[in-house]
Amino acid sequence: MLETTAQRERVLKLLEEEGGVTEESVRRVAREANVPEAEVWGAGLFYTLINNPGDRVRVCDGLSCQMAGADALTERLESQGKTCERVSCLGQCDLAPATLDEQMKLVTYEGRPTGVTPDDPELPMNLGGEMDRSYAGLARAREMGAEAVIDELEASGLQGRGGAGFPAHFKWRSLRSQAETERYIVCNADEGEPGTFKDREVLLRQPHLMLEGLAIAAWTVEAKDIYIYIRGEFGNERRNLDRAMEEAREQLSCFNWHVVDGHGAYICGEETALLESLEGKRGMPRLKPPFPTEQGFRGKPTLMQNVETLACIPAILSRGGAWFKGLGRNEPGTKLYCISGHVKTPGVYELPLGVTLDELVEAAGGYEGTPMAFSPGGASSGFLPMDQRELPLDFKSLAGAGSMLGSAGVVVLNDTVDMAVASAWQLVFFERESCGQCAPCRIGTRYLRRQLDRYVQIGDPASLAQADDVGWEMEEGSICGLGMVAAKPLEAARKYFPEAFETRNSNGSSKRG
Amino acid sequence: MSEARQLPEDELFEVEINGRTCEAREGETVFEVAARQGVEIPVLCHDTRLEPAGACRVCLVEVEGQRRLQPGCAWKVSAGMKITTESDRIEKHRRVLYGLYLADHKLDDAGLPVETANANQLRMLAEKTPPLQLEAVEAPRRGRPEDENPYIKFDPELCILCARCTRYCDEIEAVNAITLAWRGSETTISTAGERGLLDTSCELCGGCIDTCPTGALIEKKAPQILPAHAEKVRSTCNFCGVGCQLDLHVVDGKVAKVTSPPVGETVNDGNLCVKGRFAYDFVHHEDRLTEPLIRREDGELHPASWEEAIEVAAKGLLGVKERHGSDAMGFVSSSRCTVEENYLMQKLSRTAFRTNNIHQCAAT
Ligand SMILES: Cc1cc2nc3c(=O)[nH]c(=O)nc-3n(C[C@H](O)[C@H](O)[C@H](O)COP(=O)(O)O)c2cc1C
Ligand code: SF4
Repeated sequence: MLETTAQRERVLKLLEEEGGVTEESVRRVAREANVPEAEVWGAGLFYTLINNPGDRVRVCDGLSCQMAGADALTERLESQGKTCERVSCLGQCDLAPATLDEQMKLVTYEGRPTGVTPDDPELPMNLGGEMDRSYAGLARAREMGAEAVIDELEASGLQGRGGAGFPAHFKWRSLRSQAETERYIVCNADEGEPGTFKDREVLLRQPHLMLEGLAIAAWTVEAKDIYIYIRGEFGNERRNLDRAMEEAREQLSCFNWHVVDGHGAYICGEETALLESLEGKRGMPRLKPPFPTEQGFRGKPTLMQNVETLACIPAILSRGGAWFKGLGRNEPGTKLYCISGHVKTPGVYELPLGVTLDELVEAAGGYEGTPMAFSPGGASSGFLPMDQRELPLDFKSLAGAGSMLGSAGVVVLNDTVDMAVASAWQLVFFERESCGQCAPCRIGTRYLRRQLDRYVQIGDPASLAQADDVGWEMEEGSICGLGMVAAKPLEAARKYFPEAFETRNSNGSSKRG
Repeated sequence: MSEARQLPEDELFEVEINGRTCEAREGETVFEVAARQGVEIPVLCHDTRLEPAGACRVCLVEVEGQRRLQPGCAWKVSAGMKITTESDRIEKHRRVLYGLYLADHKLDDAGLPVETANANQLRMLAEKTPPLQLEAVEAPRRGRPEDENPYIKFDPELCILCARCTRYCDEIEAVNAITLAWRGSETTISTAGERGLLDTSCELCGGCIDTCPTGALIEKKAPQILPAHAEKVRSTCNFCGVGCQLDLHVVDGKVAKVTSPPVGETVNDGNLCVKGRFAYDFVHHEDRLTEPLIRREDGELHPASWEEAIEVAAKGLLGVKERHGSDAMGFVSSSRCTVEENYLMQKLSRTAFRTNNIHQCAAT
């Protein structure tokens, strides 16, 4: 039984080693892993990095890359004889427009400066500082004892940084209370929300903080095996992680570490889809309950945290939960804000949780042009108009405004942007990344994208007459968070920028108003 | 069922469905409790033989205390739970959801899901709750037009991707010939390498057809639409001793198609094998023997009565025994025989002809 499970978990990796899905590679992998051929085929075709073997340039079509001229870049590359594929946000929004070349190496074209908060030892993650290799938080955890660690976590008020903002200490307590003693720790490093590239910076600049956070988690909830699921497109980050793990071999030695590459599916950032993927299957979210803390990886209690959440933990233990909490405004701690789009110095800035957009953009060198809208937390958060610039960028305030902080992937759009077109870019993303399991999302994302395209082409608002009802059902009826928010960009754009959705004369390329 | 009835009384508790109190047990789903109460919750992706998937979203209900609608097929009841299966919110949910399904489905001139010989449950739902009218989404789904297997046809235009067929093939048959492939609006039902079913592990049991709620999977050789005067006759499959029940669909005195009786109704619980479901050509075949025949001295076969035929056979066999001895004979019975028939066969062999040379073709 255990053996077959373990075999299935190898399927995606084996397919990658084979160079992707072909009839022959699937046959070999099925034989090698002793998994039915059809399942290998079905699993492999789910993932864009393995479902269509062949060399090509992958050009990002995330919001920031689109605004930075990704379409024109694609045309240019194609005219040079290159084969191009448009792909979902590569997490390089500060370097827009971004591409991966035929060897999956990152290639960017704009020489624009990018930024990160300068060295400040008072910051929990201090991305601009020297790499912290002390593992002092882990030592402190061992002195304190498991219960005290969780108390400290509770005192810190740390909320999950992967998007949902769920208090971390609840999950840690829940893990410790499980009767089952085979438990797993999973690090969610599948960062893929358009506009988001903060976990990337942690992996590149402070990977030890994340590793230390994982070790603390494993020690506290008494788990032996730690899995790091890292986005497949993150080549540099993966190499840096390997290096860090090598450096810290001694400190990490009490646990079994497993680094697993993603294979090209945004939905695998959703925790239960990630677990399916770890198990070698199609990344389709599971129904909840049961929650991963009860039945997660291999059906066993599993603690999953985001890279940034984990990177906060060493400082919380070394300097105290109360200290961490005090760093935030209305909500606890500092937050890694990603900012890109129409600002002077895009980048990742560690600021008190709850700063305003203006404060964030000030850190990023100021606006470029006249700002018109911003997307506060990735594609999933929709858009907000500039008259909401005073809103604290925290979980509660943004939820109150019908948006969300999500992964804090903030994108600024200035008045050169057509909001209908910008919404269409976001809808393309959701249609492509829907797992396809449930109808509201699978059909709804495609319906909205097509109707919006139609509107942009012919300028007739009637194309969008049913968009509200469809968006409503996507939120009510979808299984997971992807479908629930996929209509948000269009919904928000229509709400705040109605003039961009009025009757247009003919070829639609006219800007709003 | 009988197992559940033996549970101690204290495992029973009360829940409320649409304001009515009813009894339920630990581990039961909203769908199960509602069904017992005669409260119908529409659903497409559920088959009681399979693990609930909660994927079609048709069976969403309101559960007090839950912000989101929850799938009745998968949601477990607990003491005091209050469930609502009809409300304005649910009505709107169904209307828009059905609209989305229809935007992704082959429709007839009336704008309703096309029906094949196998009832299209989506059509029935749409007839009951008029769906929101939406423009077609033209999803780029691949079928397998080249699949030359003789029995099973797949039409992606009628597929709603409930995955009942793939889950059936995995969970019930453990054959895993078909799978969900690709993703998002390109998701389809596929085989490894998109090969025809004959080149896969498929055993052509046709269970996928049986579980398909929309008729996207249908029998290739049966009429695509059964005439209104088709009759359904319950019978027993005579291919083996298991005795699966069949429903013969008879048109003008001829078997036009065979299906399994509904799940839960007979011993085979909705399942059949390739022979039971598809191998019915012999019934009306011109070569079929319909009466005893004896080869007379002219070398030709001539119709005879059973008494005559049995006597000729018995005489012949006894002649062999007398001339060559008992062990010159061997008896082989058919896998189509029941246990009782096999017993009689070995009795014939051992007591009438005194030989232990008795075999049954399914024993090897
Ligand atoms: C569609 C979708 C995509 C997600 N993507 C990510 C992701 O890329 N990284 C991440 O950490 N969490 C992501 N999440 C959130 C995870 O499901 C989960 O809540 C998180 O990893 C838990 O860790 P945290 O509490 O530390 O945030 C996503 C959720 C959804 C619904
Ligand atoms: S909401 Fe979308 S991504 Fe989530 S389970 Fe449904 S189809 Fe898959």
